[in-house]
Amino acid sequence: MKRRDFITRAAIAGGAISFGLSCNRKIESAGPELTQGALTQTSAGGKFITEPARQLPVFAETDVLVIGGGPAGTAAAIAASRAGAETWLVERYNHLGGLWTGGLVLPLLSTHAADKNKRTRQVIFGIGGEMSDRLKKLGMSVHEINPVIDPEAGKYVLDQMITESGVKMLYHTWASNVLMEGNRIVGVVVENKSGRMAIMAKVVVDCTGDGDILNLAGEGSDMMKYHIGLVHRIGNVDRIKPGSDPSLRPLLGDETPLKGVNWVNMHGDNEQDGTDIMTLSNLQLRYRKEIWDNVQKIRSTPGYEEVFLLDTASQLGVRMSRILDGRYKLTLEDTMTFKSFKDVIGISGAWTTMLYMGKAVKPENRPYWQIPYRSLLPKKTDNLLVAGRCFCFERELVEDTRIIGTCLVTGHGAGAAAALAAKNNEAVQDIDTGKLKDLLISQGAWLG
Amino acid sequence: MAWIKPGINPPKIRAAISLATLLFALPLGWKGVSGIFIWLSPFIMLNSVIILKSYVFLNLAGVLVFLASFFRKRFFCNYLCCSGLCLDKISENSRFRASVHRKLPRTGAVLAVISITGAFAGIPLLILLDPQAILHGFFSVFPGKTGVAAIISLAGFPLILAVNYFLPHIWCGKICPLGGLQDIAAEAGSAISKIRKEKDEERNETVYRPARRYFIAAGAGLAGGAILSGISKTHFNEGWIRPPGSIDPSTFGTLCIRCGNCIKSCPTGILKQHEDFADIISWLTPEVEYTNGYCIEDCNSCSKVCPTGSITLFSKDAKNRIFMGLAKVSDDECLLSKNRECDRCKAACSYKAVEISRKGSAGQLLPEISRVRCVGCGACKVICPAYAIKILPVPAG
Repeated sequence: MKRRDFITRAAIAGGAISFGLSCNRKIESAGPELTQGALTQTSAGGKFITEPARQLPVFAETDVLVIGGGPAGTAAAIAASRAGAETWLVERYNHLGGLWTGGLVLPLLSTHAADKNKRTRQVIFGIGGEMSDRLKKLGMSVHEINPVIDPEAGKYVLDQMITESGVKMLYHTWASNVLMEGNRIVGVVVENKSGRMAIMAKVVVDCTGDGDILNLAGEGSDMMKYHIGLVHRIGNVDRIKPGSDPSLRPLLGDETPLKGVNWVNMHGDNEQDGTDIMTLSNLQLRYRKEIWDNVQKIRSTPGYEEVFLLDTASQLGVRMSRILDGRYKLTLEDTMTFKSFKDVIGISGAWTTMLYMGKAVKPENRPYWQIPYRSLLPKKTDNLLVAGRCFCFERELVEDTRIIGTCLVTGHGAGAAAALAAKNNEAVQDIDTGKLKDLLISQGAWLG
Repeated sequence: MAWIKPGINPPKIRAAISLATLLFALPLGWKGVSGIFIWLSPFIMLNSVIILKSYVFLNLAGVLVFLASFFRKRFFCNYLCCSGLCLDKISENSRFRASVHRKLPRTGAVLAVISITGAFAGIPLLILLDPQAILHGFFSVFPGKTGVAAIISLAGFPLILAVNYFLPHIWCGKICPLGGLQDIAAEAGSAISKIRKEKDEERNETVYRPARRYFIAAGAGLAGGAILSGISKTHFNEGWIRPPGSIDPSTFGTLCIRCGNCIKSCPTGILKQHEDFADIISWLTPEVEYTNGYCIEDCNSCSKVCPTGSITLFSKDAKNRIFMGLAKVSDDECLLSKNRECDRCKAACSYKAVEISRKGSAGQLLPEISRVRCVGCGACKVICPAYAIKILPVPAG
């Protein structure tokens, strides 16, 4: 009996142990995820040629030089000039407002956000607010929240404000290089019909959108490839015959202040490099054809005969490219928690839904958010400020930072700061942010 | 138990454990430790381990309590049971006498045998009678949504309290399968010690004979489990989404003890009790409902707290291959079909499952969901400004 007892117990124990060993319950990761093949393009060809050194005429010597006349650059130039600094503004096209006007991205987004009592309020004031008000007075803006403007009215109003502020304007001019002395940009090389020339400046504001100047100055950046589109406008939308095929309606875009004129957005191809010239050229060709074909298709539909292609944008809708690696990286958390900064230069709002802490936050519930001066500051250069869609923020925030409203706010802040730094001959990172805030408030900005 | 000092009496330990049980049962945002005291129940442990043929580390708690009950009569009841404490207090304050039901047989052990043998056959028939499950079910409703399901979940514990008020001590003495399981263990324990004694005395006979009622109960359990698991495999509704890592729906419905740990531990609050009159088996089991929140990328809370393993434990970095559902975009509602500015679904997706690459009727680009990459976490659904995305359940397996 002893032996049988032993065998029985051994069998039970053995069974239990083998059962135990065979049981394990946990779904483990399958290991590192396969990474997609890197899509980095090598520079075309391998040939180089050395450009001979040459003397450049100094076209101007100024306090503040703003490169790029989009929403940010225009606001920056006006702010700097109003603060008493001699200011030059360099723009590559024939108009101000950049993507907002010539790019036909007509809505001024993120004008509003929720305050601490969860009530919707206007947040964009200052020079950007002034532009918006003037357009409203002209009857060239529709909607109270996130207004849509007329592009030609925009160009006109911005020209007017630039002139009134005494900004010195340089249209049709491309900034092609920076002249460095240690940690300072002493001047910017520009090219235009008059040739290649240098503009010497105490402070430079990079409002190129693509961060061209910060890149030339050797500052670090994060290259974000995003989708690029081409916006167009169509006319005679009001003369579509009633009762015609309703399925085309969604393709007709959204209203503008002009009767019968709609603007039509385009998502465009993903992960495009907005700083690669062949990408830009090829997309331009393809998009124009696509738009033409689409409008012809609409025109050939019964009832839609009178609709016509009014214009395509004068520039591609490059949504993102370089993001500055600056002194402070603005985070999604900052924008969701009413984070307050001592060196706040402006406040922007919300226009789309964001995910935060595992939950979706709709635009009407999203808090307004402060932008700190440090997020406009590059790490090395002593007299460079960055405003517009390329200032320093984390990618999660891109929908809020790349849009017109935020560009107007960062532009205003950078322009005012540039004027202060130029006046006191200080490095941009050393200016008194208290005085900067006073100046901004005196210029109508809202800092919370 | 030698480690229990003679100075500390069992009621005090039980009171302390009960307090802790209640604390951890409350929906206070405990994540990994929500309802952790359920793991002490050997009844749930046995049912779960037998049906799943697998265990996790925390099952050790149940194993140790089970082993202890071989040597101490009703170890769990005397030292650990919060429900028992409440029931005892109710019974002591009752105006009724136990005389009516004193002569009723003790069914707990039989119920335990039925349930555990049922588990061998595929269904842990009476796992819902575990007192820890009933107690925790009471607290599971507070973070969730109100509804019929919540009322039922809430009713369990007050119901047994009420029964015990009118028939004092009936639950612990006559019904509780967890208590019954310990009685069996104690009988077996004393039988083993008898064998040992007999061996010492070099006798050749054992006196331990399994009672006939256990034999019948085991047969009933096996038959019941086999029949019902056959039925349950065909009678469940797949039209809704379960938490990540859920086992197959028919077993889920019978193994889940409805304790609500997963609902309480979910940091984004997307779990609620399922109610569906067409699918009785799945009543009160956790259902994913994306209203505001989604199933976040670096979270495995529900799988960590599930005491039955109905939600299989998974590591956080395995989340990209735990499929809960599949996103589906309604093209007509999508903002991109109206040429509006949007790419929120693509931006929200952490699994790179959304590409804006599909050509719509008029050449506009629309979101395309990768069936391979999409796990159904719901991030795109909740972020979509046009409410154009639905998460469809994926068929089991």
